[in-house]
Amino acid sequence: MLRVEQLSAYYGLFQALFEVDLRVDEGECMALIGANGAGKSTLLRSLVGAVKVSADSVQFDGEAVGGASERKQLKRGITLVPEGRRLFPSLSVRENIELAQRHGRPGRWDTELLFQELPALAEVQNRPATALSGGQQQLVAISRALVTNPRLLLCDEVSLGLSPYAVDEVYRLLNMARQDGMSVVLVEQNVQRALAEADRFYCVQKGRVVLDGVAAEADHHAVANAYFGV
Amino acid sequence: MLSLLETLINGLLLGALYALFGIGLSLSLGVMRMINIAHGDLIVLGAYLSSVIVLNTDLDPLSSLLIVIPMMFVIGWLLQKLLFNRVMGRDPLSPLLLTFGLSIVIQNLLQELFSADTRSLPAGDLALQGIELGGVNIGVLPLISAGISVLAFLFVAHLINRSPIGSAVRAVADDQETARLVGVNDRRLFAYMAGFVLVTVAVASVLYGMRTPFSPTAGPERLIYSFEAVVLGGLGNLWGTFFGGLIIGVAQLLGARIDTGLGPFFGHLVFLVVLIARPEGLFKAGRA
Amino acid sequence: MKSSKILAMLVLLGVLVALPWIGGYATQRLMVEVFTLYAIALAWNLLAGYGGIVAVGQHVFIGIGAYSLFFLSTSFGLNPWLMLPAAVVITALFALLFALPMFRLRGAYFAVGTWVLAEITRIAVLNSDWLGAGAGMPLSTMMGITRWLRNAGIYWAALAVGVGSLGVVWWLLRGRLGLALLSVRDNEAAAAASGVNVLRTKVILWLVAAAITGLAGAVAYMNTLQVTPSASFSLNWTAAAIFIAVLGGIGTLEGPLIGVLVYFLLREMFSSYGSWYFIVLGCIAILTMLLAPGGAWSLLTRRRPLDPFGIRRMLS
Repeated sequence: MLRVEQLSAYYGLFQALFEVDLRVDEGECMALIGANGAGKSTLLRSLVGAVKVSADSVQFDGEAVGGASERKQLKRGITLVPEGRRLFPSLSVRENIELAQRHGRPGRWDTELLFQELPALAEVQNRPATALSGGQQQLVAISRALVTNPRLLLCDEVSLGLSPYAVDEVYRLLNMARQDGMSVVLVEQNVQRALAEADRFYCVQKGRVVLDGVAAEADHHAVANAYFGV
Repeated sequence: MLSLLETLINGLLLGALYALFGIGLSLSLGVMRMINIAHGDLIVLGAYLSSVIVLNTDLDPLSSLLIVIPMMFVIGWLLQKLLFNRVMGRDPLSPLLLTFGLSIVIQNLLQELFSADTRSLPAGDLALQGIELGGVNIGVLPLISAGISVLAFLFVAHLINRSPIGSAVRAVADDQETARLVGVNDRRLFAYMAGFVLVTVAVASVLYGMRTPFSPTAGPERLIYSFEAVVLGGLGNLWGTFFGGLIIGVAQLLGARIDTGLGPFFGHLVFLVVLIARPEGLFKAGRA
Repeated sequence: MKSSKILAMLVLLGVLVALPWIGGYATQRLMVEVFTLYAIALAWNLLAGYGGIVAVGQHVFIGIGAYSLFFLSTSFGLNPWLMLPAAVVITALFALLFALPMFRLRGAYFAVGTWVLAEITRIAVLNSDWLGAGAGMPLSTMMGITRWLRNAGIYWAALAVGVGSLGVVWWLLRGRLGLALLSVRDNEAAAAASGVNVLRTKVILWLVAAAITGLAGAVAYMNTLQVTPSASFSLNWTAAAIFIAVLGGIGTLEGPLIGVLVYFLLREMFSSYGSWYFIVLGCIAILTMLLAPGGAWSLLTRRRPLDPFGIRRMLS
């Protein structure tokens, strides 16, 4: 479904990604592993158009879509849950989700369905989004992505700083999405968890893919080497 | 004592008009994070548009708004689309310098078309009518313009806080990058907002032209009063702008009682003093 | 620096110094305008291009500098040239006094805030009888001086202002302040974290810009012998400075030099067209911001790098 070929990304003169190749298949969960600053977030951001890259380097259903605007990628079905949640503080929980729904694709996922699945959020739907606990905020951030009915959901550090219970809640929601056939890319600091959730994985180091394989068969020693670059 | 009360009331009514000047500036500063140096010149432009319509048709200034409002909307939309959007996000100074150039262009264009003479919009009987309340004389025209200002603020506050487009506007004001991620078309939104800002400018300009004679070079002063209202009220606080405008209006008229030439001086003085005492503005930053 | 380059500069300087013996009064008066406006644009550019702070109210310093000179010289019957340093000091003190409220504002708010400062000062002067109110003040101490000496003296003062301000700014940017500025311009938070006192750096720039502008304003009004509030506290000064710096290239030392030449070339050729002349100037500024935000200098150096002031090597 998604094929990344020879993707290079820059911030001004600084090159963050070097000729990255990878793919994500239909309905698959892929984990992206790497140390801080390895370029994982940049990779996700270049897939949704927030970082400009060449057209050929990102192919979605065989179509060259790299460098298209965030709005176009959203309409194609690529959505990002950004690192740090980035909820809109001036908007209520409901407004945060409805705003995304209005600009997303039509489909099964909508605000009402989410409030049905997450009654705790429904209770606080009229509160400002940033007044919630970290775990609840993260659920709002994921809901905001789900209501755009993506085919490919990109999650950037969705469990960072959350309690174990909240992390389970987050993954419960993501698994619901996967059961619907959504493909998911996980950027996770918790490598164990990422490998447990994912089908396949890629290790990124200093802007390059250095290792990839099937998650269940991952050699933890090799992953650690790739992660730390020793 | 009674005359002091009269000054106070007239100051509030004048201030409500300044607040109306400031509403658009507050929106573009709060949401688009740009200051339009030509804001005051656009107010003057609106007054001239109305004047041309009044001179060439049977319409009075207030009904001329039926034509001036759509025209100003299109002008704002075009300015944003063709000029401002191209320099936004580059650095905060580019829009400032670009609109500075625009300000010079508008002023001189008005001078070329309408000469440097002052003119005013005919207010007819309204200008002369007043009502007396307990010995205090209040002009009907200032009262009407203050009422329109309050209505405009209520309308904008409702639009921003309660409508779907308002939530997109607030999202962009909070975090433009993330707003793009959830699919908000920020540039198109900005173009419509700039159009809407000029709608508020159109209303303000006609009320202004009916109250005060204007000339092509009157713009910068309008900009400064609007700016003072916005900063006094606290950045990003819509109702703060309203009260900021009232304060400037009262300060100016109280100052003019001390010396007729010193009205604006006292307005500026209050602004500077507040800036030293409470740099974040008088009112807490709130929604949009 | 190559000796041929030094020789060329000395010849140029010699010709400029000798101008009163070569050119007429009209040329000298024009050159006074060129040099003073150059210094004002350089000061504006120092603030905006190197400090990232735009002052739309920079003209307040013109008025303060000019009025300081006129008031001191006329009241005490002192030689105007000797009062130039006093004008510099008074303008800098004025800037220091208002640094507190102004630097509470940031970015665009600072820009317009300085404009409010200029307005309030203009109204205050306009209503001060001891400064001649709306009619302003003449520079009566010029009476006893011969016409030639007066014109030449003002011209030389302007020349010194132009060359001197370039020297001061150049020296400032090459020193430690230049490095601090560069880090502030790139990333204010990071600069603060690495020990640069951002506010102090900006206030120093503000004071230097004020001093240069005040001096230039004083000399510019020596040239006209009469100062009025509406002319000296006029936004037109800042508008011209912005036009010159934007057109030449913000954040370069060469920009104002090119900008001032283009500005006076356009003015001498087209100013008779009145409003249309200003409309075209405004449009040029808009187009520059849209198409070449680096100004003329960036267009000139796009193909081959030039560095006549030897400052880029150090800073980049």
